[in-house]
Parts: sequence; structure tokens; C-alpha cells
Amino acid sequence: MTISESSPTRGSLCTRVTEFLRVTACCALAVQLAAAPAALAANDKAAPLPSVPSPVSDPVLKAMQTELARATTDLGKTEQAPYFLSYTVYDQDFVILVGSYGSLLNNVSAQRRQADVTMRVGTPELDNTHGQSRPSGVSSGTLPLGNDQDAIARVLWELTDREYKRAVPSLLNVRTNTAVRAEEEDKSPDFSKEKPQTHVGELAAAPPLDRAAWEGEIKRLSAAFRKYPEVYLATVILQVQNSKSRMVSSEGSAITSPSTSARLVMEAQTRAEDGMDLLRVETFQAPAASGLPSESDLSAKIEKMATDLSALRKAPIAEPYDGPALLSGRAAAVFFHEVLGHRLEGHRQRDEEEGQTFTKKVGQEVLPKFLSIIDDPTIHEMAGMKLAGAYDFDNEGSPSRRVEVIQDGVLKNFLMSRMPVKNFSNSNGHGRNQPGLMPTGRQGNLIVTSSQTVPEAQLRQKLIDEAKKQGKPYGLYFDDIQGGFTLTTRSLPQAFQVLPVIVYKVYADGRPDELVRGVDIVGTPLAALTRILTTGDQQHVFNGVCGAESGQVPVAAVAPAMLFSEMEVQKRAHEHERPPLLPPPGFEDSGATKSAQSKSEVKP
Amino acid sequence: MKILRQTTLAFAAILFALCAIPVRAADDAKPSTDSAMAAARAAAKGDGLLEALLIELDRSKAQLKIDQVQAPYYIEYRVNEIDDFGAEAAFGALRENQHVHVRVLRVVVRIGDYKQDSYFGRGQGETSILPLDNDPIALRHQIWLATDDAYKAAGQAFAEKQAALKQFSADSSPVDDFAKASPVIAVEPTVSLKVDEASWRKTLEDVTSLYKQYPDIQSVTASARFSAINEYLVSSEGTLTRNGKTTYSVQLNASAQAADGMRLGRSPAYMVARIEELPERATLFADAKKMLDTVVALRQAPIVEEEYRGPVLFAPDAADDIVASLIGQNVLGRKPQLGKPNRTTGPFATSYKSRVLPNFMSLVDDPTMKEFRGKSVVGNYAVDSEGVKAQAVNVIENGVLTNYLLGRQPIRDFLDSNGHGRAAPGSFPGPSLGVLVVKSSEVSAWDALKQRVIQMVKDQDKPYGYRVETLGAGNSPRLLYRIYAKDGHEELVRGAVFNELDIRAIRNDLIAVGNDPLVSNRAGGAPSTIICPSLLFGELEVKRADTSKDKLPDYPPPPLVK
Repeated sequence: MTISESSPTRGSLCTRVTEFLRVTACCALAVQLAAAPAALAANDKAAPLPSVPSPVSDPVLKAMQTELARATTDLGKTEQAPYFLSYTVYDQDFVILVGSYGSLLNNVSAQRRQADVTMRVGTPELDNTHGQSRPSGVSSGTLPLGNDQDAIARVLWELTDREYKRAVPSLLNVRTNTAVRAEEEDKSPDFSKEKPQTHVGELAAAPPLDRAAWEGEIKRLSAAFRKYPEVYLATVILQVQNSKSRMVSSEGSAITSPSTSARLVMEAQTRAEDGMDLLRVETFQAPAASGLPSESDLSAKIEKMATDLSALRKAPIAEPYDGPALLSGRAAAVFFHEVLGHRLEGHRQRDEEEGQTFTKKVGQEVLPKFLSIIDDPTIHEMAGMKLAGAYDFDNEGSPSRRVEVIQDGVLKNFLMSRMPVKNFSNSNGHGRNQPGLMPTGRQGNLIVTSSQTVPEAQLRQKLIDEAKKQGKPYGLYFDDIQGGFTLTTRSLPQAFQVLPVIVYKVYADGRPDELVRGVDIVGTPLAALTRILTTGDQQHVFNGVCGAESGQVPVAAVAPAMLFSEMEVQKRAHEHERPPLLPPPGFEDSGATKSAQSKSEVKP
Repeated sequence: MKILRQTTLAFAAILFALCAIPVRAADDAKPSTDSAMAAARAAAKGDGLLEALLIELDRSKAQLKIDQVQAPYYIEYRVNEIDDFGAEAAFGALRENQHVHVRVLRVVVRIGDYKQDSYFGRGQGETSILPLDNDPIALRHQIWLATDDAYKAAGQAFAEKQAALKQFSADSSPVDDFAKASPVIAVEPTVSLKVDEASWRKTLEDVTSLYKQYPDIQSVTASARFSAINEYLVSSEGTLTRNGKTTYSVQLNASAQAADGMRLGRSPAYMVARIEELPERATLFADAKKMLDTVVALRQAPIVEEEYRGPVLFAPDAADDIVASLIGQNVLGRKPQLGKPNRTTGPFATSYKSRVLPNFMSLVDDPTMKEFRGKSVVGNYAVDSEGVKAQAVNVIENGVLTNYLLGRQPIRDFLDSNGHGRAAPGSFPGPSLGVLVVKSSEVSAWDALKQRVIQMVKDQDKPYGYRVETLGAGNSPRLLYRIYAKDGHEELVRGAVFNELDIRAIRNDLIAVGNDPLVSNRAGGAPSTIICPSLLFGELEVKRADTSKDKLPDYPPPPLVK
């Protein structure tokens, strides 16, 4: 349950081993981006008649259907016949370029084809995936890359047989456990009944990647960081991916979703004299590399990142604080993703390990009346930005749908996969996972709207007014954040944390704003949500990658800037390793970092 | 959950030697460091990577210093530039196809002195990746950062190590932490990967299509992994080396289940240092068919039910694994953990000057050997990963353990490296095998060994003896045959393991050696070669394996479309 713009780790990238891992993690990231059947022009509705599949020209899909039918028939004759079987095949064709200080550290292209075989034995009321046995529902493997139907069928057969041998014993366990344990509070079935879907996604072929040109651009962009001796870790990463996911199920679904994506991530890091690592990340997303910002725009961003880092290095550490706070739109978006979004995921409402903050609050007011929240993966673009959480069908083959989760402050709905919860017996197209894992209800594009707005330009004054009213010397303005995380289980405190990177003290007495560093927003969900006073009048988008039980999925969160009457911040934990001792190459004569030698203490 | 696949980072497991040009070593024993460094700088000219490494080395050696932490007494950079092609086919179709090109840097900064230093825990070095081109600033930036980390880690590790040593009473004559070594300058040409990838992909697909002719076989896969690795090493002692190595390996895999559910499989592999030595297509097909035929035969083979104790003859392709695990691993002079008194780790820790093999056998590890009877050996190298010249080392002479294979970490009584400190890319070096040759003063032809088995079982009034053709994981037999005393005919059996196949057995029960040495090239941290003939054990126990029998597939495989 974390969200971040880039790689999941923050801060402590002090060892070079981590750096190495971070680059390999980028590969993983690119793979993960294909997890959701992502962005494609949804121009046709799902056909309602699964029993008459249209003639299939795609040999891979054909092999999948034939093998699925054979498995269903053959395993149907066994003692414990599966009641549901699906194959999902993910094709991923990607290029990753990693540049640093003017050279490429990594230049990789690869093709993958992975198959997930999902099987359910027992009955929809109680099956092998119940409770903690959920992982027994899926087996994965690598599939041949071409169109050889014999080879594809053969590997699918291997996987299916293996999965069957996992599912059957798991059902036995589930039945025993259910008999032995106290009755569960939520007696919902394990699998909802849904209408099968057939859909062949069409996608205009992405223009071919001009790899040589991009290699040059990535090198040039990353070389821009050479000017800044204090920015000692910097990477520019391009991930371009063409994906296709195909899904067939024993219920008759057959869905093909192609997608393309290009993602550019620029990361820069410095370290303050006290050892605190300071990170700036900028990410850009487009359906194709040609849709990414121009080199000059990106260069301008790099200048800004470097200037920010230089200012942050010198900024004082903020003290723990509880008082009025203004969150920029992107900060507010991450706040809602963590505080609310994760708690509205359907499966958390029945899992008895979960905190279930909102489970019994349907129909009640959980937010100020002027706020409404939808999660709408059908929207592809907003406020001039592509939304990362858009898709047409979720990983269970349910069509994506706009879900009004909170209307005028009142909780209406949850984000549902095909795992029913009490009073919500059907999917609303939010069953998502990364390849190899079982889906759960997940966010797509979480969009917060407000009916009580003030022009964005006036929010700073409102913050000052609020500080004065409370007799506080200053309020905090959270301009940009890198991500956040939350804990939703019962065994740990219900808490969230948002990780700001650019925070200002806005003084009530008219002094100029002061940049501070080293704070995290913390709090508990129910308290925090009631303290929103007003919002800005413009929507801002945070695109990121969200990690939870069902893996990493791309998401977007959209919100206006928000003024809170109270917000608590705590000191950020950080490493205490000092900055590099010698000046960076190219700055040998500057003596810039000689200061390290004049200090005396070193930890034993 | 995953079908067999090669990991993306598996390139880290491949590294080996094909040095054809002799080393130009610094001949005088102890040149001053300054002149050594000057010589290194001269040798680096024209290689952008070596030049960048030397600039940062000089700068770091001269300037790295924090108050109350000593300056480094030794800095070392090792870069492995890896160009790696990997492909895998299953059931006639390509499943994996990847190219990896990466430069991995490992930095070791040592503070203290040769006697006692910071090489401990995190002080054993830092790893980073370097730019793929030779842009000096970009290269130096990564080297600079990794060195900074390594120095700080060394400072902490040194303090931790001294604290840890306080737990033990002081040893009167402890061995040094780091062996001195003469600087070596050896700049060899770099190597690159030149293979017809498309043709190999096709071959892998075609050879795995054989599954169509073998309905009893469950799984057929084949993989190829070709690597060119250039290793660069510079140290503050003035050592500067560059050498390139290529390895080419192809592996076939087949598996099936017997009617009773027992899993059976074979995975023959080829590994060579010269691509022209890989099998021709026709040979590969013939070998694949033989592999599939034997797996089919295994399905029908009787299970070893009764315990047997008597002669067992190991063919060279099985004997090499025995030698690798029972001898090869134990002749490595690995320094024991801090405070432990043993000379080295493993069963031979206290066997110095003791008999560990029959007295007619000797073992030498000679990494300078480039080929054996026309076959390339992948364990060959001229300079090891610590910049020490490779040397032939007689580890066992007439059955007696006389030496260990050593890197620059000394052990009791063995204070110098003998050129066996080797490392996988990005990982720390340790004593490793190079080219291990099993020698015997008495050898016999295969037929004679077989006759001897027959004679022995006759004498012992047994109906049959055993011979092993090849082994699988844990030295369990993959292909095990009974040789019948009555008429010499052979019978394939399955489901057996050896009992007490250990260092005692190889010391006391090994009675004869063949005249048929086989070159066995082996992947691993650093590639190695074992050259080993057939081995005859006078007495060994063969018993039924205690493994469960898995269920058969719950439904038949898909019918073929094509």
C-alpha cells in the first residue's frame, strides 16, 4: 500500500548496491506497467453473447481457447472439477534506457510472454481461494513468444495441471479451516457471478521508437546534471512498452487489450550535511515516446530539480508541528489515495485482519459535504494529463466502470473485484493485479471533486488567516510530494504517511515563506478527513505506481489543493552518512566539499 | 509456480578465461609503488575505462581521509564488462531471448595494514554499474561515488572488526589479513561476442521440436548462453590488468514421469571456450535423441529395491561431479570466520599432510592450461581476479594433501596467493578451482575396469555390480546400470541413491582409475574445468531413494495441431 512516482525506495540510496538494484527495479517496473490492461481507446461496448465467439484470427488467442476448452472438459470429468478456469497471457515488448551524467548505464530491450492460469475449485460460495489461501488460485509461467499453437498449448497444459494440483489440496484446507474456525462475520461468497465479456481491443500501432535519437536525448538530459556538483545521484530513465493482454475464461469471456506506454522518470538526489538524503523526482507519461515533453521542457525541469535540491540542502529541518496546512493538488491527491482510497478497496471490508475503517459506514458522512470521490478508470486524460490508472477491462475481465464511492461526503460504494463483500455482491471493474498474483479491488483513477472552492491563488491567504485564527506563528504549505503509504490492518495502528519533498513555512506575520525539509505528514484516517476546510478550484494529477497485496499497478490520483485546519507532521527518519568526501569529477579544484574534513566526528 | 527459466541476472554467474597471450609481469619483486603506478598509467593509455579508473584511484588514494579514520592503504577497482546472449526454447518455440550488456564495478577500499585491515562485513567492497561508453566524467562519477561508499564502509567495518576480535584471546601468531603480491601489468586484447544468434535460436527451436516424436516425454527445453566478459583490474599497488574471456554453453533438458509417478529427467550440457567446439547441428540432434531415448528407457526401468554394497564404476561424466564436490570444494583455502582456529573451512581443514586419496592418485590445479587434447578448457586464465598470475598447484601428491588453492586471503601456514583468487562479476573474490586435473600412477582401460567389476561381484557371489554414466543434483545417479556377472549384459535402473559417498569413501574405497580423462567445463561463480577419468569404487552402497512419487498429469497433453 504504497504509492510512489518512481522506484519504491526513498531516501537511503546511499549504497551503490542499492543503486544497482534500483536500476534493475526499473526493469521490473516496466514489466509491471503492463499489469493492467491499460489505456486504449474504448470505442465499443462489450458484446453480450459469449456463447458465439467470433471467428478467431489471433493464433495465440485460438490456442488459449482451444486449450481452455480441453482443460475444462477433461478436468470436468475429475472428482473435483474446477468451476472456473481462466488464462491470461501478457505480452510485453519493452525498451529501457537509463542515463546518468551523460552516459547510458543500461540499454535493454526485451520481449516477454507470461501466462497466468487462474483456477477455482469448490463452489462460488466456498472455493480454494478463500481467505489466506488466495494465492492457490493462480499459477504462472513463461510462454513461447511466437505463434506456435502446439507449443503454447503444451505450456498452458503444464501450468493448468500444476495449478489443479495446487487448487485441490487448497480447497481441502479451506474446508477444514472453515469447519474448525469460528464463523466469519462476512459470509459473502468467494466469487461473484458476472456476465462474460468478449472484446477485441484495437489500437493504432505506436510510431516506432527512434531508439538512437532517444539514446542521444537521454544522454544529453542526464548530462545536464553534471553542472551541479551537489546532485551526486541522478538518473534519467525511459521505459517504452508495447503490451497486449489476452484473457479467456471458462465462462466464455475473450478479451484482447493492447496498450502502449512511454514513461520518463528523472530522479536527482543530494545529501545535506547532516546526512539527510534529499530526492526530487519528475515523471512523465504518454501513450508513446513521441508524446513526451520536448527536450527543452525536460531540460527546464532538470534546472528546477537541481535548484530545488540546492535550496533544500540549505533548508532548516522543520520541527514536529500540528496546525493549519495547505496541500497542493498533487499532495492532496496522494493523501486521498492513501487515507481513503486503500480503505475503500472491497476485499478489505471482509478480511478479518483488516481495520475496516469504513466497512460499516455506508450511507454515513465520512467527509465534509462539499467533497465527492469517484474512481473512474474509463477516463484517459484530465487537466491536460494522461491518467496512469486508465483501463478498459480489469484483470478479471470485468469492464472498467466509473464508481461513485463518496457522494457529497456520504460513503456509497467500494472498489470491487469479483470478491463479494456484504451488501456488495458484484464487481465494479476494479479487480487488478500485476501478472502472477491474484486480483483484489484496487484504485484506478481516484478523482476528488469539491463544491466549495476558492481560486487557487487565494489559498495561501486562507492559510495565513487560519494560522492567525488559531494563534499559530505559521502554517505549512506542502507543495510537492514523492509518495506515501498507509497501514490498514488491525495488528498495527491505523495510520498513513505522506512523504512531502517541498514544504514551506508560511508565516502569519508576513515574513517571506521559508523552505523546510525533513518532515512527513502523519495521522489517522478518520481524524484527518474531517479537517478539510476548503479546496482550490483546479484539479491536479499525480500519476504513480501503487503497490499492495495484488502487486504493483499504475494508478492516478486527482484532487484540488486543500486547506486543512490541522495537520500533523513528524521528523523524517534519515541516514546519517555524510556527503561524499571528495568533490565530484569535474570539480576537483573547487574545494566545494572539503568542509567534510574539517569536521571531526565519525561513527565507530 | 514458475516454469524453468533463466534468471535475468544469471549473467553474474559466468566468467572465464581464454587468455592466449602470456602475461607481461613486473619481474622485479618489489618495485616502489610510485614507479609501479607510473607503469600502470603508461599501460592504460588508450583505454578510456582504465584511464578513468586510474584517475579516480589516484585521487582517492591521495585524498580520501576522515578525521579519526585512517586513510586507505589499498584501493582496488575491478570492472566486468559483460556481453551476454541468452535464449531458451520449449516444445519447438522460442520462449526467452535476451541480450545483456552491462559493466559492473566492484570497489575494495582497505584501511589498516596488510596485517590487520577493514576487510570484514560491508568493508569487503561496494558494487555499482558503470556507463557503457567511455565518457570520462560519467564513468568517473560512478567510480567516485562507489569509492566514497567503500571508504566509509571500510571505516565502520574496521571498527566493527576490532570490536569483534576483542571477544577472542589474542593469537600469538595470527596470519595476515591480506597477502602481499607483486604488481602485475597485463593488458590483453578485449573480446566480443560474435555468434549467429538467429541460427542458434532456430536450432534450439528445432531440437526441442523432437518432443513431437516422444509422446512419453513431458517436457523438452533447450537453452543457449553465450558470454563475452572483459575483466579490468587496477589497484593502488600498481597492478593493472585487462583480459577477455568467452564461454559458450548449450543445455538440453527433458523430463518425464514413470507410470508410478516418479520424476525422471536428464539435462546434458555443453560448455566450451571456443564457439567452433560447440556440437554441430547433427550432433546436437543425435545427442538430444539419445537423451530422450534414455528418459523413455528410464520410465520402463526397474526401481532399485534392494540395498547393494559392492563395486560401483563411475564413468568420467559422473566421476567429475564426485571429484568436484568431495575434493574440489575442500582443497580451497578459505579463511575461517574471525576467531576460529582452523586452517580453513570444510572437511580438509585439518588434513594438511594427511592422506585424502589413495596413494596412486594426485591432483593438480593448473589454470595456465589452455586446452586438453584439443579441447578448450574454460577454467583457464593468465591472471586471477586479484591480479595474481595463475600458477599450477599440486594440491594432492600421491594421495597426500600438500597444498590448498589460495587467493590473497592467507590461511595458517599458507601466506601467499597461488593465483586462485577468482570472482564472479560484481562479487568478492575467493579461492576457486581453475583447471583441476585428476592424475593416477596406474590407469586401466574402461573394459578392464568393467571386467574387474564383474570379477569382483563374481567373487562376492553377487548377481550384478553397478556402473554410473551421469549424475544429477546431490550426486544422485541419473543413469545407473547393473552389470550382470553371468554374461556382462547391462540393465538400466532408476530410483537409487548412493549411501555414504563421502570423503572417507573416496579415500579408502577408490580402487582404480581409468585411462579416459574427460574435459568437464563447469559454469559457476568463476568457470572452472575438471579433467577426470573413470573411477572405480571397490565398495559403495546403492539404495532406494527416499523420494515421494508425484501424481501423474490429471489429463493428457494437448494433441498436436501441426
